[in-house]
Amino acid sequence: MKRLWPFLFLLGLGLVFAQTPTGQPPPDLDPEVFKIANQLRCPVCQGESAGESNAGVSQEMRRQIAEMLKEGKSEEAIKRYFVERYGEWILYAPPKRGINWLLWAAPALGLLLIGFGLWRYLAEARRREAELGLSPEELRALEAELEEE
Amino acid sequence: MKLSRLVWLFVILFLGWLFYWGLHRNPGELKSVLVGRPAPDFTLPPLPPFREAYGETFRLADYLGKTPIVLNFWASWCYPACYEEAPILEAAWERHKGEVLFLGINTQDKEEKALEFVRRFGLTFPNLYDPRGKVGIDYGMYGVPETFFIDREGIVRYRHAGAIDAGTLEKRIQEVLR
Repeated sequence: MKRLWPFLFLLGLGLVFAQTPTGQPPPDLDPEVFKIANQLRCPVCQGESAGESNAGVSQEMRRQIAEMLKEGKSEEAIKRYFVERYGEWILYAPPKRGINWLLWAAPALGLLLIGFGLWRYLAEARRREAELGLSPEELRALEAELEEE
Repeated sequence: MKLSRLVWLFVILFLGWLFYWGLHRNPGELKSVLVGRPAPDFTLPPLPPFREAYGETFRLADYLGKTPIVLNFWASWCYPACYEEAPILEAAWERHKGEVLFLGINTQDKEEKALEFVRRFGLTFPNLYDPRGKVGIDYGMYGVPETFFIDREGIVRYRHAGAIDAGTLEKRIQEVLR
Protein backbone atom coordinates (compact mmCIF):
# COMPACT_ATOMS: atom_id res chain seq x y z
CA MET A 1 0.00 0.00 0.00
CA LYS A 2 2.89 2.32 0.84
CA ARG A 3 4.00 2.24 -2.77
CA LEU A 4 0.59 3.44 -3.89
CA TRP A 5 0.70 6.76 -2.05
CA PRO A 6 2.89 8.67 -4.53
CA PHE A 7 0.54 7.68 -7.33
CA LEU A 8 -2.55 8.66 -5.38
CA PHE A 9 -0.88 11.96 -4.49
CA LEU A 10 -0.14 12.72 -8.15
CA LEU A 11 -3.67 11.77 -9.14
CA GLY A 12 -5.05 14.10 -6.44
CA LEU A 13 -2.77 16.91 -7.59
CA GLY A 14 -4.07 16.49 -11.13
CA LEU A 15 -7.66 16.72 -9.95
CA VAL A 16 -6.95 19.81 -7.84
CA PHE A 17 -5.32 21.70 -10.70
CA ALA A 18 -7.60 20.52 -13.50
CA GLN A 19 -9.93 23.37 -14.36
CA THR A 20 -12.55 23.97 -16.97
CA PRO A 21 -12.51 27.32 -18.78
CA THR A 22 -14.92 29.67 -17.05
CA GLY A 23 -15.21 33.39 -17.46
CA GLN A 24 -16.51 36.11 -15.22
CA PRO A 25 -19.38 37.56 -17.23
CA PRO A 26 -19.09 41.30 -17.68
CA PRO A 27 -22.44 42.86 -16.79
CA ASP A 28 -23.36 44.03 -20.32
CA LEU A 29 -24.43 40.64 -21.72
CA ASP A 30 -26.74 37.89 -20.55
CA PRO A 31 -25.08 34.97 -18.67
CA GLU A 32 -26.65 32.67 -21.29
CA VAL A 33 -24.39 34.32 -23.90
CA PHE A 34 -21.33 33.44 -21.83
CA LYS A 35 -22.56 29.91 -21.24
CA ILE A 36 -22.37 29.37 -25.02
CA ALA A 37 -19.27 31.52 -25.62
CA ASN A 38 -17.36 29.51 -22.98
CA GLN A 39 -17.83 26.41 -25.12
CA LEU A 40 -16.26 28.09 -28.16
CA ARG A 41 -12.63 28.90 -28.80
CA CYS A 42 -11.42 32.44 -29.31
CA PRO A 43 -9.97 32.10 -32.87
CA VAL A 44 -7.04 34.46 -32.30
CA CYS A 45 -6.05 33.38 -28.78
CA GLN A 46 -4.07 30.50 -27.32
CA GLY A 47 -6.13 28.45 -24.89
CA GLU A 48 -8.82 31.04 -24.21
CA SER A 49 -12.52 30.69 -24.83
CA ALA A 50 -14.65 33.27 -26.64
CA GLY A 51 -16.26 33.88 -23.25
CA GLU A 52 -13.05 34.84 -21.46
CA SER A 53 -11.14 36.65 -24.17
CA ASN A 54 -11.36 40.37 -24.77
CA ALA A 55 -10.05 40.13 -28.33
CA GLY A 56 -12.20 41.99 -30.87
CA VAL A 57 -13.28 38.78 -32.58
CA SER A 58 -14.45 37.27 -29.27
CA GLN A 59 -16.44 40.39 -28.48
CA GLU A 60 -18.06 40.13 -31.89
CA MET A 61 -18.78 36.44 -31.34
CA ARG A 62 -20.51 37.25 -28.05
CA ARG A 63 -22.48 40.01 -29.76
CA GLN A 64 -23.59 37.59 -32.49
CA ILE A 65 -24.54 34.95 -29.90
CA ALA A 66 -26.62 37.58 -28.06
CA GLU A 67 -28.34 38.54 -31.32
CA MET A 68 -29.06 34.93 -32.25
CA LEU A 69 -30.49 34.22 -28.77
CA LYS A 70 -32.73 37.23 -29.18
CA GLU A 71 -33.90 35.79 -32.52
CA GLY A 72 -34.89 32.66 -30.58
CA LYS A 73 -32.13 30.36 -31.90
CA SER A 74 -31.22 27.35 -29.78
CA GLU A 75 -27.80 26.73 -28.23
CA GLU A 76 -27.22 23.87 -30.69
CA ALA A 77 -28.11 26.08 -33.68
CA ILE A 78 -25.72 28.79 -32.49
CA LYS A 79 -22.87 26.34 -32.05
CA ARG A 80 -23.61 24.91 -35.50
CA TYR A 81 -23.38 28.43 -36.93
CA PHE A 82 -19.79 28.74 -35.71
CA VAL A 83 -18.87 25.16 -36.68
CA GLU A 84 -20.03 25.87 -40.25
CA ARG A 85 -17.53 28.73 -40.40
CA TYR A 86 -14.58 27.44 -38.39
CA GLY A 87 -15.03 23.67 -38.40
CA GLU A 88 -15.27 21.54 -35.26
CA TRP A 89 -11.98 23.05 -34.11
CA ILE A 90 -14.02 25.95 -32.68
CA LEU A 91 -15.69 23.65 -30.11
CA TYR A 92 -13.88 23.08 -26.83
CA ALA A 93 -15.57 19.71 -26.44
CA PRO A 94 -15.21 17.75 -29.70
CA PRO A 95 -18.44 15.92 -30.64
CA LYS A 96 -18.50 12.30 -29.48
CA ARG A 97 -18.43 10.46 -32.79
CA GLY A 98 -15.97 8.84 -35.21
CA ILE A 99 -12.30 9.21 -34.34
CA ASN A 100 -13.20 11.74 -31.64
CA TRP A 101 -14.22 8.82 -29.42
CA LEU A 102 -10.52 8.11 -29.11
CA LEU A 103 -10.00 11.57 -27.58
CA TRP A 104 -12.73 10.99 -25.02
CA ALA A 105 -11.51 7.51 -24.21
CA ALA A 106 -7.82 8.48 -23.99
CA PRO A 107 -7.82 9.56 -20.30
CA ALA A 108 -9.61 6.37 -19.21
CA LEU A 109 -7.29 4.26 -21.38
CA GLY A 110 -4.28 6.04 -19.87
CA LEU A 111 -5.50 5.34 -16.33
CA LEU A 112 -6.15 1.70 -17.21
CA LEU A 113 -2.66 1.43 -18.66
CA ILE A 114 -1.08 2.93 -15.55
CA GLY A 115 -3.22 0.69 -13.32
CA PHE A 116 -2.19 -2.35 -15.32
CA GLY A 117 1.50 -1.41 -15.08
CA LEU A 118 1.18 -0.82 -11.35
CA TRP A 119 -0.60 -4.14 -10.83
CA ARG A 120 2.08 -5.99 -12.77
CA TYR A 121 4.83 -4.26 -10.82
CA LEU A 122 3.27 -5.06 -7.44
CA ALA A 123 2.60 -8.66 -8.47
CA GLU A 124 6.23 -9.02 -9.50
CA ALA A 125 7.42 -7.51 -6.20
CA ARG A 126 5.21 -9.89 -4.24
CA ARG A 127 6.51 -12.83 -6.23
CA ARG A 128 10.11 -11.88 -5.43
CA GLU A 129 9.27 -11.52 -1.76
CA ALA A 130 7.72 -14.97 -1.79
CA GLU A 131 10.78 -16.38 -3.56
CA LEU A 132 12.99 -15.20 -0.73
CA GLY A 133 10.97 -17.53 1.48
CA LEU A 134 10.83 -15.15 4.44
CA SER A 135 7.77 -14.88 6.61
CA PRO A 136 6.30 -11.37 7.09
CA GLU A 137 7.65 -11.34 10.67
CA GLU A 138 11.17 -12.14 9.53
CA LEU A 139 10.91 -9.48 6.86
CA ARG A 140 9.79 -6.86 9.38
CA ALA A 141 12.65 -7.80 11.70
CA LEU A 142 15.15 -7.41 8.84
CA GLU A 143 13.66 -4.07 7.79
CA ALA A 144 13.88 -2.82 11.40
CA GLU A 145 17.52 -3.88 11.49
CA LEU A 146 18.24 -1.98 8.30
CA GLU A 147 16.61 1.15 9.63
CA GLU A 148 18.72 0.99 12.80
CA GLU A 149 21.87 0.97 10.73
CA MET B 1 10.66 -11.41 -26.83
CA LYS B 2 7.60 -11.69 -24.65
CA LEU B 3 4.32 -10.42 -26.05
CA SER B 4 3.83 -7.89 -23.24
CA ARG B 5 7.26 -6.39 -23.98
CA LEU B 6 6.22 -5.93 -27.60
CA VAL B 7 3.00 -4.21 -26.52
CA TRP B 8 4.91 -1.78 -24.31
CA LEU B 9 7.41 -1.08 -27.08
CA PHE B 10 4.51 -0.30 -29.40
CA VAL B 11 2.89 2.03 -26.84
CA ILE B 12 6.14 3.92 -26.27
CA LEU B 13 6.86 4.23 -29.99
CA PHE B 14 3.31 5.48 -30.60
CA LEU B 15 3.57 8.12 -27.85
CA GLY B 16 6.96 9.19 -29.22
CA TRP B 17 5.52 9.56 -32.72
CA LEU B 18 2.54 11.53 -31.36
CA PHE B 19 4.90 13.89 -29.53
CA TYR B 20 7.08 14.37 -32.61
CA TRP B 21 4.04 14.98 -34.84
CA GLY B 22 2.64 17.52 -32.36
CA LEU B 23 5.94 19.41 -32.23
CA HIS B 24 6.20 19.69 -36.01
CA ARG B 25 2.68 20.83 -36.74
CA ASN B 26 2.40 24.32 -38.13
CA PRO B 27 -0.43 26.08 -36.27
CA GLY B 28 -0.85 28.46 -39.27
CA GLU B 29 -1.80 25.53 -41.49
CA LEU B 30 -5.36 25.20 -40.30
CA LYS B 31 -7.33 24.51 -43.44
CA SER B 32 -10.38 26.67 -43.97
CA VAL B 33 -13.64 24.73 -43.98
CA LEU B 34 -14.75 27.13 -46.72
CA VAL B 35 -12.33 25.74 -49.32
CA GLY B 36 -14.39 24.12 -52.09
CA ARG B 37 -17.59 25.84 -50.94
CA PRO B 38 -19.35 28.93 -52.37
CA ALA B 39 -17.96 32.16 -50.92
CA PRO B 40 -20.37 33.64 -48.32
CA ASP B 41 -22.11 36.77 -49.57
CA PHE B 42 -21.98 40.05 -47.62
CA THR B 43 -22.91 43.69 -47.95
CA LEU B 44 -20.59 46.38 -46.56
CA PRO B 45 -20.06 50.10 -47.06
CA PRO B 46 -16.88 51.00 -48.96
CA LEU B 47 -14.46 53.36 -47.18
CA PRO B 48 -15.17 56.99 -48.33
CA PRO B 49 -12.49 57.19 -51.08
CA PHE B 50 -14.08 54.20 -52.87
CA ARG B 51 -17.72 55.28 -52.68
CA GLU B 52 -17.64 57.26 -55.90
CA ALA B 53 -16.68 54.20 -57.94
CA TYR B 54 -18.52 51.47 -55.98
CA GLY B 55 -21.52 53.23 -54.38
CA GLU B 56 -22.70 53.52 -50.79
CA THR B 57 -23.00 49.75 -50.31
CA PHE B 58 -20.99 46.96 -51.86
CA ARG B 59 -22.63 43.57 -52.37
CA LEU B 60 -20.29 40.66 -53.05
CA ALA B 61 -23.06 38.71 -54.83
CA ASP B 62 -22.92 41.29 -57.65
CA TYR B 63 -19.44 39.99 -58.50
CA LEU B 64 -19.51 36.34 -57.35
CA GLY B 65 -19.53 33.89 -60.22
CA LYS B 66 -18.54 36.60 -62.70
CA THR B 67 -14.89 37.26 -61.93
CA PRO B 68 -12.15 35.72 -59.78
CA ILE B 69 -11.81 37.61 -56.48
CA VAL B 70 -8.89 38.16 -54.08
CA LEU B 71 -10.42 38.96 -50.71
CA ASN B 72 -7.98 40.44 -48.20
CA PHE B 73 -8.78 41.10 -44.53
CA TRP B 74 -6.62 43.78 -42.90
CA ALA B 75 -6.46 46.35 -40.11
CA SER B 76 -4.30 49.39 -39.43
CA TRP B 77 -3.31 47.95 -36.03
CA CYS B 78 -2.00 44.79 -37.68
CA TYR B 79 1.66 45.68 -37.71
CA PRO B 80 3.95 44.61 -39.35
CA ALA B 81 2.17 41.88 -41.37
CA CYS B 82 -0.51 44.08 -42.98
CA TYR B 83 2.08 46.80 -43.68
CA GLU B 84 4.34 44.28 -45.40
CA GLU B 85 1.70 42.94 -47.76
CA ALA B 86 -0.17 46.17 -48.63
CA PRO B 87 2.33 47.34 -51.32
CA ILE B 88 2.48 43.77 -52.71
CA LEU B 89 -1.32 43.65 -53.02
CA GLU B 90 -1.48 47.08 -54.66
CA ALA B 91 1.21 46.12 -57.20
CA ALA B 92 -0.58 42.87 -58.06
CA TRP B 93 -3.91 44.76 -58.43
CA GLU B 94 -2.23 47.15 -60.88
CA ARG B 95 -1.14 44.17 -62.99
CA HIS B 96 -4.40 42.18 -62.85
CA LYS B 97 -7.18 44.76 -62.53
CA GLY B 98 -8.86 43.78 -65.78
CA GLU B 99 -9.18 40.09 -64.89
CA VAL B 100 -9.32 39.78 -61.08
CA LEU B 101 -11.21 41.85 -58.52
CA PHE B 102 -9.18 42.73 -55.44
CA LEU B 103 -11.24 43.50 -52.37
CA GLY B 104 -9.88 44.77 -49.06
CA ILE B 105 -11.91 44.39 -45.88
CA ASN B 106 -10.83 46.66 -43.08
CA THR B 107 -11.65 44.72 -39.94
CA GLN B 108 -12.27 45.95 -36.36
CA ASP B 109 -10.64 49.25 -36.95
CA LYS B 110 -11.33 52.99 -36.62
CA GLU B 111 -12.30 54.71 -39.85
CA GLU B 112 -9.70 57.49 -39.61
CA LYS B 113 -6.91 54.95 -38.95
CA ALA B 114 -8.11 52.86 -41.90
CA LEU B 115 -8.10 55.94 -44.16
CA GLU B 116 -4.58 56.80 -43.04
CA PHE B 117 -3.49 53.27 -44.03
CA VAL B 118 -5.19 53.54 -47.44
CA ARG B 119 -3.45 56.90 -48.08
CA ARG B 120 -0.08 55.68 -46.85
CA PHE B 121 0.02 52.79 -49.34
CA GLY B 122 -1.97 54.53 -52.07
CA LEU B 123 -4.43 51.63 -52.27
CA THR B 124 -6.62 51.88 -55.38
CA PHE B 125 -8.56 48.58 -55.17
CA PRO B 126 -11.91 48.83 -53.36
CA ASN B 127 -11.66 48.67 -49.58
CA LEU B 128 -14.72 48.05 -47.43
CA TYR B 129 -15.32 48.97 -43.82
CA ASP B 130 -16.31 46.29 -41.27
CA PRO B 131 -15.73 47.76 -37.80
CA ARG B 132 -17.44 44.82 -36.04
CA GLY B 133 -15.57 42.17 -38.00
CA LYS B 134 -18.78 40.32 -38.84
CA VAL B 135 -17.63 39.26 -42.31
CA GLY B 136 -14.38 37.92 -40.82
CA ILE B 137 -16.40 35.49 -38.70
CA ASP B 138 -18.47 34.50 -41.76
CA TYR B 139 -15.21 33.52 -43.44
CA GLY B 140 -13.91 31.68 -40.37
CA MET B 141 -11.02 34.12 -40.07
CA TYR B 142 -8.43 33.51 -37.34
CA GLY B 143 -6.66 36.84 -37.48
CA VAL B 144 -5.60 39.60 -39.82
CA PRO B 145 -4.11 39.50 -42.37
CA GLU B 146 -5.85 36.70 -44.19
CA THR B 147 -6.42 36.37 -47.93
CA PHE B 148 -9.07 34.26 -49.67
CA PHE B 149 -8.93 33.34 -53.35
CA ILE B 150 -12.32 32.88 -55.00
CA ASP B 151 -12.52 31.43 -58.52
CA ARG B 152 -14.79 32.69 -61.32
CA GLU B 153 -17.50 30.22 -60.27
CA GLY B 154 -17.65 31.87 -56.87
CA ILE B 155 -16.00 28.94 -55.04
CA VAL B 156 -13.35 29.57 -52.35
CA ARG B 157 -10.13 27.91 -53.55
CA TYR B 158 -7.48 28.92 -51.01
CA ARG B 159 -7.04 30.69 -47.75
CA HIS B 160 -3.68 32.24 -46.90
CA ALA B 161 -3.10 33.13 -43.25
CA GLY B 162 -0.53 35.83 -42.44
CA ALA B 163 1.26 38.32 -44.70
CA ILE B 164 1.34 37.11 -48.30
CA ASP B 165 4.49 37.42 -50.43
CA ALA B 166 4.52 38.40 -54.11
CA GLY B 167 5.38 34.87 -55.32
CA THR B 168 2.56 33.12 -53.44
CA LEU B 169 0.08 35.83 -54.41
CA GLU B 170 0.91 35.51 -58.11
CA LYS B 171 0.76 31.71 -57.97
CA ARG B 172 -2.67 31.72 -56.32
CA ILE B 173 -3.98 34.36 -58.76
CA GLN B 174 -2.89 32.21 -61.70
CA GLU B 175 -4.68 29.23 -60.14
CA VAL B 176 -8.01 31.04 -59.78
CA LEU B 177 -7.62 32.52 -63.26
CA ARG B 178 -7.53 29.07 -64.85
